[in-house]
Amino acid sequence: MTAPRVGQEAIAVTTALAAAWVAFAVLVWLYGESPLVVARLLFDGTWGTAYGAGQVIFKATPLLCTGVAVFVGLRAGLFNIGGEGQLAIASLAVGIAGHLGFVGALPSFVAVPLLIAVAAVAGGAWALVPAMLRARFGAHEVIGTIMMNRVADSLVGALLGGGLAVAGSVRTADIAPSAHMARLDAVVPALRGSAASTAVFVALVLAVAAAWGFRRTRVGREVVLIGKNPVACEAVHIPVRRRIATALVLSGSAAGLASAGTVLGYKGYFEMGLGAGAGFGGIAVALLGRSSAVGLILAALFFGTLQQGGLAINGHVPREVMNVLEGVVILAVSLSDADVRRTFTRGVVGA
Amino acid sequence: MSSTDASGLALRLARIDKRFGELQAVRRGELEVRTRLIHAVVGENGAGKSTLLKIAAGIIAADGGDVWVGGELQASYDARRAQTLGVAMVQQHFALFGSLSALENIMLGAEETRGAGFLDRARGRSRAEGVLASLGVELDLDRKVATFGVGDKQRLEIARALYRDARVVILDEPTAVLTPLESTALYATLRRLADDGRAVVVVTHHLDEVEAHADVVTVMRRGETLGTRAVERGTAAVGLLAAEIVGGEPLPELHAQHEPSARPRVEGQPALVKLEVKGLTLGRALRGVSLEVLAGEIVGVAGVLGNGQSELALVLGGLAVPDDGEVLAGAIEVVHEDRQTAGLVLDATVAENLALGDLTRFTRRGLIDDDALATSARERIARFDIRPPDPGALARALSGGNQQKIVLARALAREPAVLVVAHPTRGVDLVAARAIHQQILAAAARGTAVLVIGADLGELRLLCDRILVMLRGRVVASLPPTADDATLGAAMLGREAAA
Repeated sequence: MTAPRVGQEAIAVTTALAAAWVAFAVLVWLYGESPLVVARLLFDGTWGTAYGAGQVIFKATPLLCTGVAVFVGLRAGLFNIGGEGQLAIASLAVGIAGHLGFVGALPSFVAVPLLIAVAAVAGGAWALVPAMLRARFGAHEVIGTIMMNRVADSLVGALLGGGLAVAGSVRTADIAPSAHMARLDAVVPALRGSAASTAVFVALVLAVAAAWGFRRTRVGREVVLIGKNPVACEAVHIPVRRRIATALVLSGSAAGLASAGTVLGYKGYFEMGLGAGAGFGGIAVALLGRSSAVGLILAALFFGTLQQGGLAINGHVPREVMNVLEGVVILAVSLSDADVRRTFTRGVVGA
Repeated sequence: MSSTDASGLALRLARIDKRFGELQAVRRGELEVRTRLIHAVVGENGAGKSTLLKIAAGIIAADGGDVWVGGELQASYDARRAQTLGVAMVQQHFALFGSLSALENIMLGAEETRGAGFLDRARGRSRAEGVLASLGVELDLDRKVATFGVGDKQRLEIARALYRDARVVILDEPTAVLTPLESTALYATLRRLADDGRAVVVVTHHLDEVEAHADVVTVMRRGETLGTRAVERGTAAVGLLAAEIVGGEPLPELHAQHEPSARPRVEGQPALVKLEVKGLTLGRALRGVSLEVLAGEIVGVAGVLGNGQSELALVLGGLAVPDDGEVLAGAIEVVHEDRQTAGLVLDATVAENLALGDLTRFTRRGLIDDDALATSARERIARFDIRPPDPGALARALSGGNQQKIVLARALAREPAVLVVAHPTRGVDLVAARAIHQQILAAAARGTAVLVIGADLGELRLLCDRILVMLRGRVVASLPPTADDATLGAAMLGREAAA
């Protein structure tokens, strides 16, 4: 990246964080509390203790996956707004697969990767529908992915209600013990009690692999070029439609991997609504995290901090204040970033 | 609406500086524009013409220097202020809304309203009709602009400027997309504007236009304005102007550099047909185009814009699927008309653009070898004299001529059996144009079949062995390059040549 780009990104991020801080101070002040005192509480409840930090990591894990999902789409000039649906379907698939008899018979080092693969395939498959609609008919992926969110919602409800759930509940049966991902406190005892799991490594590897793939692989590089000008790429016979469809499917897979943090590393089963909100949260992560793995990781930690911090300050100000901050950050980044503006204002190309 | 002082000075730029990153686009630029005159601004690509005039129109802000409009120094000058003062610019890439009607485009941003802000279409319409009448132009105000040809779009842009009562009308390379006939009509319109007491500024590469139509001319070179002088018609001054633009010795007549007869022919080359097009149809644009190009042959396609030439290039390049007909050829490479859209990824590097579609060649086990990419880019940058010689520069930062060199270099590197080039030197300066011509001639000498699609007859004559004329989606004539303007013009219009 050239110097002006880096400058532009730094400005976008700094503006967003400054706006968030101002909004935070004003909101807290409106509740008659001291912004500094509440900020202190916020810190103590998150990074101030090992447990708090663990909880932030726990919250950030699915956000990083869905953030990578949105990032992958944006690179290709696509806006995958369907992370919610892709994650729900992947979670359901993992919940069901994890309960299958033969999985219980597998050793953990086979069962866990197998279920992670199931998550990726299911999330990708759910994105395949809008991907095909886009590639074949030029149907805008925003419409397609939103629609699939609704379909996923209904399908999950119908399947859980229709016999897949444990009787009298809206959750799947427990996955096999060997399919659980270990809690982080098994490795770092200080994190005791926090729900952070080794799924965070899945998310970290995903973020690094995605950024690396766009930079170093041929297909990744072509996708980036297509994201910048599909017509020129089409003119030199790069398979634009196929690449765009591939990018959207991979984006769906990344969103699906978020279920590692919720189902495999936390609950051990899937229940209605588990992980809800992470799909949209990923949009914020991708917008704030910009185009590097480090940026995405920091952004996921930032929003994880806000989520966990909301619980910490709930006694003084409603935790919804944190949701407002999230919105402020998204707005500020969108406004100050030319790339985002371009992606969101461009019509469908190749239609 | 102050617009002029007693001397007729409508606009003055003094000591203008503008820098884009590394590039000093304009250095101490000076320009005085007077009413009742057509003022040409000439210079190579990247000489700073567009930048200087965008500053004049308030579209971009200068880093330093003064802008005077109507005798007043402008303390804060932007596009809105410029509009208020009556300075308007018709840019190279039109700013029109295709899905709106001509009238809506004209009114947009300067709507007539009545009552509590309701559109007054009737009053807008009558004013727009008045503007068109004063221009001597007929346009269907209710038609969607997307259906307009490029000449009409341009007239619409001018009408839009006048609707806002522009006193200074600036046009950036207005004739780049026009046929000779349309250009002449445009200058007639511009003359009316000048006679009407307005100031007209035209950026152009065509020195014959300057000689034929301009009253004064300003030469720019490498960001500096070299001075303004009156145009003396019917003198050899244009040759000197050309020399001034490139900053070297007076240029020998460009065209004399490579007469068709003088260019290297492939000896003993069998008359091998490398491109055969049979009965190509596409909607209403192509209605049964058939043509052949032999190995080593350069065939031109002439015609009034909008007679299927652009679509022919799209079909040959695989960007449009024909309804019927066939194309028999080996590998075809097409340099499309609109290089910024169909030729380049502007926000990618020069190296990436040179390798666009060929990344496989720079891939080892699925991974891009950026060193090999840069090495290959450097070699081609040197061979095609692409400036700046930096593989890592963004294509966006290059001038039009250098962008075209990238596209051509990429096409030729694939050693195609057939090379199709649309408007090879549109908006390209003389030096770059000559380099591009030489590359095309060299490709033919290597046995490539070349199809040149262009509006510039001089260029077609210079390059081609035959010139095909397209009219309403068909090839209607095949003429030798020695055919005169009258014969070619008559064929383009579907008439018998006047005796």
